[in-house]
Amino acid sequence: MAEFTSGFFMGDQATNGRVLIVDDEADIRKVVRMTLQKAGYDVLEAENGEKAIETINAGENRLLLDVVICDIRMPKINGVEAIAYFRSNYPRVPVIVLTGFPDTDMATSMLRQGVVDYLVKPVEGEKLREAVARAMEQRELAHL
Amino acid sequence: MQYVTDSAVISTTAPTKVVILGAGRGGTALLDLLHQIPSIEIIGIADRDQQAPGLQRARDLRVPVMERTEELIANHGVNLIMDVTGDPQMERFIQQHKRPSAEVMSGSAARVLWELVRHEANLQAELFHAEKLAGIGSFAAGIAHDINNPLQLILGLAENLTDERNLKTVHDQAKEIIEAVRRTSAICRDLTQYARKSSARDDAVVSLSSRLDEALKIARYAASFHDIEVVKRYDSGAGVKGNPDELLHVFVNLITNAVHAMDHGGTLTLITQGAADAARVSISDTGRGMTPDTLGKIFEPFFTTKGPGKGTGLGLYNVKTIVNKMRGKIAVDSRLDKGTTFTIIFSPSREASS
Repeated sequence: MAEFTSGFFMGDQATNGRVLIVDDEADIRKVVRMTLQKAGYDVLEAENGEKAIETINAGENRLLLDVVICDIRMPKINGVEAIAYFRSNYPRVPVIVLTGFPDTDMATSMLRQGVVDYLVKPVEGEKLREAVARAMEQRELAHL
Repeated sequence: MQYVTDSAVISTTAPTKVVILGAGRGGTALLDLLHQIPSIEIIGIADRDQQAPGLQRARDLRVPVMERTEELIANHGVNLIMDVTGDPQMERFIQQHKRPSAEVMSGSAARVLWELVRHEANLQAELFHAEKLAGIGSFAAGIAHDINNPLQLILGLAENLTDERNLKTVHDQAKEIIEAVRRTSAICRDLTQYARKSSARDDAVVSLSSRLDEALKIARYAASFHDIEVVKRYDSGAGVKGNPDELLHVFVNLITNAVHAMDHGGTLTLITQGAADAARVSISDTGRGMTPDTLGKIFEPFFTTKGPGKGTGLGLYNVKTIVNKMRGKIAVDSRLDKGTTFTIIFSPSREASS
């Protein structure tokens, strides 16, 4: 799988990887998409935890999803519940938290659950791309 | 299970009938306090100055305003005459006209009493403010969410603009940034307005529906409205005379409690009704409801079902105090696992109903 995740083909377009952004605010999903597409990532969106779980379980995403970026405060299934689901069902997919609330207790508990990064909005594009690149490396290591 | 606060019903013994002479600051303060006490009935108030502030207040509270002081003093059945005119002549005048059974409180005794009343009113105001500020502490997560999300949008768009070539995209994204800044600045405006100390006496005719909408905005910081459907059934004419800041505080408290009761989502229903005889507000949730035992205690000071550090136990106590002061009643209907409805019935004010 490693050769696919580091540059698989979507139609005739090469991408650096497939990232799922989970956030209830369309504006946030839009700017994260813009930021990551510039770095060559293929970006999927989900507006809450429930949709995110549906997305990761859908078809080829099961195998081809590389990184999840997830908010905490969301309707339906919230970030904490969704992340617990990802960690237990897709332990090889690194999760980055991107939240509006700098909460040390939450950050600690999330990092204990195996979240690779805890970013507080507003986060600069460069930092976000670095975090995703680091997560991609972990993703590849997980496949060795 | 129902529970109704009603100062007129709870009283069991015959009320003490009181007359207030003087409607300046002292008389007004006494009026405000005494009319909240179930065991006291204010027979009437009088002042030589027909423009005295306490007279208008008395009319609002439906306390009889008498033009002829001697008639008021001579009223049979009066137990206590409270003279806060500060006029040394008045004492003799009272002694000439009063019935033998009526007691008189005047001079320094009356002055001490109204000092105490004023002191109590100040304490009450401090308590409201302290409870409000304690509540604002719990807004942190909501405020952070509402400021940092637009900031993320602004930052992302601005970063994109540094190398965006398409002029139309540049224009569109610049407009989006302006809009996001506007949204963010509204947060500070709403919160500073809410956090300010409510002035002691700025009663005005207040639209219940617009106050509820305002409260809804504030409550969104205190509680997560995810999976909460908000249903509004407003009668735009529903108005009441009262302190707008205090009413906002009442509604923020009730809406926040309602949303906290619905951990797993539900419906928040806000209803206003303005009838000739009374204006009503009801706030309903479809949450966990209360046991009869809890329901019996909710208006007690320091009673809370929230965890340590989460609730002050003063929210509903203050709600009740404010509503009592406005001569309103609160009815609570709660069913376990079905939900709770708080209904406030305000007696009509002249201006609001005209």
